Amino acid sequence: MASIVRPAVFRQSCLRLTTKKSFSTKPSSSFPAIKKPASSTLSKNAKTVAPSSVRIAAFHASGRKAILPPLPQSIDGTANEAAKIPPSNPAHGSYHWSFERLLSVGLVPLTIAPFAAGSLNPMTDALICGTILLHSHIGFDALITDYLPNRRVPKTKKTFDWGLRLATVVVGVGLYEFETNDVGLTEAIKRIWKA
Amino acid sequence: MATLRTTSRLFTAARPVFRAQQLRGLATIADTVTGAQPKDQTGTVNDPTKDAKIKTFQIYRWNPDEPASKPRMQSYSLDLNKTGPMMLDALIRIKNEVDPTLTFRRSCREGICGSCAMNIDGVNTLACLCRIPTDTTKESKIYPLPHTYVVKDIVPDLTQFYKQYKSIKPYLQKTTPAPDGKEYRQSKEDRKKLDGLYECILCACCSTSCPSYWWNSEEYLGPAVLLQSYRWIADSRDEKKEERKAALDNSMSVYRCHTILNCSRTCPKGLNPGLAVAEIKKELALH
Amino acid sequence: MRYSGLQKEVLALYRKCLRESRKKPIDTRSHFESYARAEFQKSLALDKKDFAAIEYLMRKGQRQLEMYSSPGIKDIR
Repeated sequence: MASIVRPAVFRQSCLRLTTKKSFSTKPSSSFPAIKKPASSTLSKNAKTVAPSSVRIAAFHASGRKAILPPLPQSIDGTANEAAKIPPSNPAHGSYHWSFERLLSVGLVPLTIAPFAAGSLNPMTDALICGTILLHSHIGFDALITDYLPNRRVPKTKKTFDWGLRLATVVVGVGLYEFETNDVGLTEAIKRIWKA
Repeated sequence: MATLRTTSRLFTAARPVFRAQQLRGLATIADTVTGAQPKDQTGTVNDPTKDAKIKTFQIYRWNPDEPASKPRMQSYSLDLNKTGPMMLDALIRIKNEVDPTLTFRRSCREGICGSCAMNIDGVNTLACLCRIPTDTTKESKIYPLPHTYVVKDIVPDLTQFYKQYKSIKPYLQKTTPAPDGKEYRQSKEDRKKLDGLYECILCACCSTSCPSYWWNSEEYLGPAVLLQSYRWIADSRDEKKEERKAALDNSMSVYRCHTILNCSRTCPKGLNPGLAVAEIKKELALH
Repeated sequence: MRYSGLQKEVLALYRKCLRESRKKPIDTRSHFESYARAEFQKSLALDKKDFAAIEYLMRKGQRQLEMYSSPGIKDIR
């Protein structure tokens, strides 16, 4: 309580002190908080008092357009509780990561091989198609888990997950058709390259 | 606390002419000594016509007492000749002399406590380790750490960050007693593995610069916490290595890291959280 | 009337406050209840679509609740 009363007294004495000295050589020290009565210093100071060296600009220059308002955000539990440790799940964790890395590394020789060898082998073609399909599925899946967190938008996430599965199946069927009834992936790229 | 603050304000207010000396004293000790007889010196130092290097700082302001109001940018101009060399010096000077309502965290002013982490000119860094750019034509912009809840002005709410830090059990877990009954010893090689890890001060600069952490801060642990996690996985004395690894082995905790490496780029202490995360991934993959 | 998710959260927080104040000693219980009420009434004028502000106040309220619900705190004014 005393600390609320006392600053007022102090400030008045400060005021007396400060007014005696000339501030003409110091552009920035106008002591806005001290020249005001104690009651309004803290809450309204920023708005009402703008010394010469202080300029206020609105943070948003344009009007607020909430096309996609931010998703609800919250912190679970109390401040002193540790964050929840999710259950160990190597199939989605380390195995998934190792598999994904293997696929990515495997894609490098697989993409070079048919063009370097110059031969058309349906087996390598099928292998490339399969790896690319899995690789892109994993990639898009990572996108979905990144941008559509399950805990915030569970329904949207589910929709997109099934959409991705559907897309992967459709692309898989399409590639199969392309391989069996048409020229095949390697040959197609070759033709486009030369066209 | 309140009385303490009052007295300090009184101290700063009662001797306004001394301020220039005192603030320059942050940089050199000699100035603090000369601060006792300031009158004649202030005339020369404060002469605005000579070579005042006026630099403008734009600072993010938001007052929680008016939650409906929008955040805004407020500009402050300071003469760099009268300000210490670091951003924190400028902030302290603004708070002392221009606008006492400006709120920010600071403690050690030498890059050891990690309190003054903020976004300065687009880079997450510690204000006390960031030099003020001497180019006075450009304005310096200071924001709170990105994608954190703001408590006030440039004070971020790091509750979630600390909760996550707690969840990795950042302490030595050992069940067997020390062989000599006194302390757990470690070879020099084992100790060397902790170099570049133990220096982390948990300022949250790296975590809040990571886009993956922006999108998934509830579940992804973020580079700072993962670096700490690796610090305990790599510790030769710790006996719960497998448990620690199992706790990380899921799709969210570690594997939301897509090696963007903003963390290593921004770390004000020059550490490499990206490498630590990669080491964790390696440990997990090799089992 | 149907409440939005955020409105429900606010109500849940208020309920939690009342429940926590029931754990306090009988003679000071009304202080806690009226304090919680006053805290909520402070921001009654807030626009109900100002989600950022409401979420901020929710976080602040949670923190306050955490603090005041500690058994060491026996009275409030």
